[in-house]
Amino acid sequence: MLGGDRTLWVVAALLLTASAYGLVNGLRWRAFQDRAIADARAEELERYAGAEQAIRDARGQKLPAFADPGNPDTAGRRRAPRYAVLPPGALAPLAVGQSGLLPGYFRVSTESRETILAATETENPTRLLTGRFDLAFVIVYLLPLLILAVSYSLLSAEQEQGTLALALSQPVTLRQLLGAKVAVRAFVLAAYLTLLATTILFVIGPSALGADGLLRTALWVGLAAAYGLFWFAVALAVAALGQSSAASATMVAGVWLVLTVLLPSALNLGVTTLYPVPSRVEMVQAVREASDAASEEGARLLGRYYQDHPELAADSNERAVNEFAVIRLAVDARVEEQVRPVLATYDRQIERQQRTVDWLRFASPAVLVHEALADLSGSGTARHRHFVAQVGRFHDEWQRYFQPRIARQAPLADYRDLPAFQHAEEPLRAVVLRVLQAFAGLGCAAALVLGWCAIRLRRFSTA
Amino acid sequence: MLRRIARRELVDIVRDGRFRLMAGLVLGLALMSLAAGWRHYVDVERQHEQARRATRAQWLGQPKKNPHSAAHYGVYAFKPKSRLSLVDTGVDPYVGVAAWLEAHKQNEFRYRPVQDRTALQQFGELTAAQTLLVLIPLFVVLAGFSTYSGEREQGTLRAVLSHGVPPRTLALGKALGVTAALALVVVPALLLVLGAISLTSEFGAVAHDLARGTILAGCFLVYFAIFLALTLGVSARASSSRSALVLLLAFWFVNSLVAARAASDLASALAPAPSSIEFQRAMEAELNDQQETARRLAARKAALLQQHGVSSVDALPVNFRGISLQEGEELGNEVFDRHYGRLFGQYARQDLAARFGGMVAPLLSMRALSMGLAGTDLAHHRDFVTAAEGYRREIQRLLNADIAVNSKAGEVYEAGADLWSKVPEFVYTPPDALTVAGAHLLDLGLLGLWLTAAVAFLARGTAALGAD
Repeated sequence: MLGGDRTLWVVAALLLTASAYGLVNGLRWRAFQDRAIADARAEELERYAGAEQAIRDARGQKLPAFADPGNPDTAGRRRAPRYAVLPPGALAPLAVGQSGLLPGYFRVSTESRETILAATETENPTRLLTGRFDLAFVIVYLLPLLILAVSYSLLSAEQEQGTLALALSQPVTLRQLLGAKVAVRAFVLAAYLTLLATTILFVIGPSALGADGLLRTALWVGLAAAYGLFWFAVALAVAALGQSSAASATMVAGVWLVLTVLLPSALNLGVTTLYPVPSRVEMVQAVREASDAASEEGARLLGRYYQDHPELAADSNERAVNEFAVIRLAVDARVEEQVRPVLATYDRQIERQQRTVDWLRFASPAVLVHEALADLSGSGTARHRHFVAQVGRFHDEWQRYFQPRIARQAPLADYRDLPAFQHAEEPLRAVVLRVLQAFAGLGCAAALVLGWCAIRLRRFSTA
Repeated sequence: MLRRIARRELVDIVRDGRFRLMAGLVLGLALMSLAAGWRHYVDVERQHEQARRATRAQWLGQPKKNPHSAAHYGVYAFKPKSRLSLVDTGVDPYVGVAAWLEAHKQNEFRYRPVQDRTALQQFGELTAAQTLLVLIPLFVVLAGFSTYSGEREQGTLRAVLSHGVPPRTLALGKALGVTAALALVVVPALLLVLGAISLTSEFGAVAHDLARGTILAGCFLVYFAIFLALTLGVSARASSSRSALVLLLAFWFVNSLVAARAASDLASALAPAPSSIEFQRAMEAELNDQQETARRLAARKAALLQQHGVSSVDALPVNFRGISLQEGEELGNEVFDRHYGRLFGQYARQDLAARFGGMVAPLLSMRALSMGLAGTDLAHHRDFVTAAEGYRREIQRLLNADIAVNSKAGEVYEAGADLWSKVPEFVYTPPDALTVAGAHLLDLGLLGLWLTAAVAFLARGTAALGAD
């Protein structure tokens, strides 16, 4: 019934080519990430080795503070910073997601937190604007269009050729006929997804995936299947309208355009207009003003700092007052206190945007699936936020390690017991829960479309 | 005759409910995106203007201090938004907005607006340019796909031709009819753009951007004409309205969604760029090269001693500290120019390679033109970064020269407000419209080729009708 249909073969070839290209691009991105992380680790090792060697070479002799890697201020700020790394997920090659826009590692030092978190991966901005041709792109944009291309004229083609009435004169109902037509096409989709799953297993390797990765792969492919079925439902609904092939083609193209292109970008426009995040120049200026004011107060702030931290005001108190590094502790603490409300306005607006998006994503299956696929691939927003929160806690730990040593001017003998960052993966349960929401959303949308379709089909006339 | 054909075509299109739906959608989206774009532009430009004034006031308000301390204090460069960014935001969300201009270092522009957005950003921004690039072509396709094929299916085409209407007149009339229908949407959209731009006069004269805007509008009209000619050409040749539509929709889809990504990924494979850490490490290795620094400084010292005919730096009429600071700057500048030059050069090569994709999809050429003329492409960002870095170097030169001339070795030297005010304010002027157009000859050429090819395709397709 389909063997002779040339369109289907063309569509299948296109889908396979696009998927292969997407997968290759994803693998290249994954390799780039791995290389950047390896480079960061190597840089850290090299820097540590150099610093520890310099400490040993000095043998207790006093170096000038800025050149002395044993000086706690110099170490915490410049010589000993550690990379906090978000390892790419096992399925990272499948969806670039947010990993292209948000950095996968931060260089944690005694600098302020907003300075550390402002880091970005260097990348061609035109490329960031354009987006990636990855597998997620193929699934979210291309797959629906190809499904619609082979099924926009489920009934209209036969109607126009006059064979529909003939077919229905046989002992089959309209529903059975439609069901059979969709089943054949869905079989091709299933074949494609099976091939996709096998390829993923083969390319990434079952051992690299682990039990966790296998579950994620199953959900990834399952989600693509559910999304495909939703678009079959759309094609059925358009068929049920009983219009000409050209009118049906216009209609499916319109639905596709609205759901995958216009609605998501309109939602983006909506949330950014509703909860605008002020330009970061305001923050830069606020930090600058606060640090100008605090630097002017310098020594006086140190007195207050010791009142707040009596445990740090050890025997070296007098000596410390003249130390630039110790005054800076007090100045930094003051700046942080002053800037906190400004930073909070940014966080609040972003939080509001995110909460709105968490609901609005159900309005467009494309958004729903796009986010869930990135989520499963470990390149979603939630995982990155989870990571940034950990970096924040690591930064606290770092400060707790260095601040007392800077205040007491206690030199470091080596870098062996400096705090190290250990990334804790987001619990799989949380990811699965979010993805199940996406399944539920898709299921509801498909059920609504099919329900409407069933009602409509009762009134269908073959004339 | 021509007018009758055109009017008939126009009436046919406008009567169609789908046309009205689509026209409403396009205009509604254009209005929405312009309103939001305008709001965003005005907000951000006000914030940046205020920040620019504040950073200048901070610079001038510095207490008495050594000029090199002032150099370390530095100023901030804040990226201004181009006025036409309300039409096309281009790469603006993906580049940093602020750079600290301090001694010894060319800092990167930090704080990309995209870092403060949700994952929805990946679906793109709904800008006026996006509407014009993606939606209007679809609109042309839907309005025109059945122009010939529909009449052929109804049998009216043969009737018209048998009445002796020349195919060329018929083609022209039909093109005019579809153009008129298109004008019903495009003209109000362009008026909306003009209105939004004229509402921004608080940020300086609007006239400056009019040249860019006019060229941009002209390019878009050519872009639409390409789609018009292609649509009519396909309609004239297609065996049925259905196949004409499917073919045109496929082309529209590849053009609007697939081409840009496919070309961008291919271009980055052809001209790979380094990671941030790779870039920084290579640059820092050169900056920290103490031997080279010592060698350069010794050479400078020897030349200076010889010039003044003295044997020690203390006998020089200038303070050598100022000279050595400036020498360090010069050395750093060479390293920065080399490394940033290589990085931006690689990005520019990626963009150029992707723009050759315009041979397959005219959107790529049009998008490059739109971002370029709106002042929001990579080249404009680079131009601004270069200007800001030039300003940083000017500050360093002024301050180091002051140290060399006015201070004595071994003495505490402090300068004051006089010196701070000698540093001019940072003023950035973006390149003029003709320079931008000149940088986009490739895109203009490709659009021209597309138009020629599409019109030839239409002419041959319709001439064949007469021969039937």
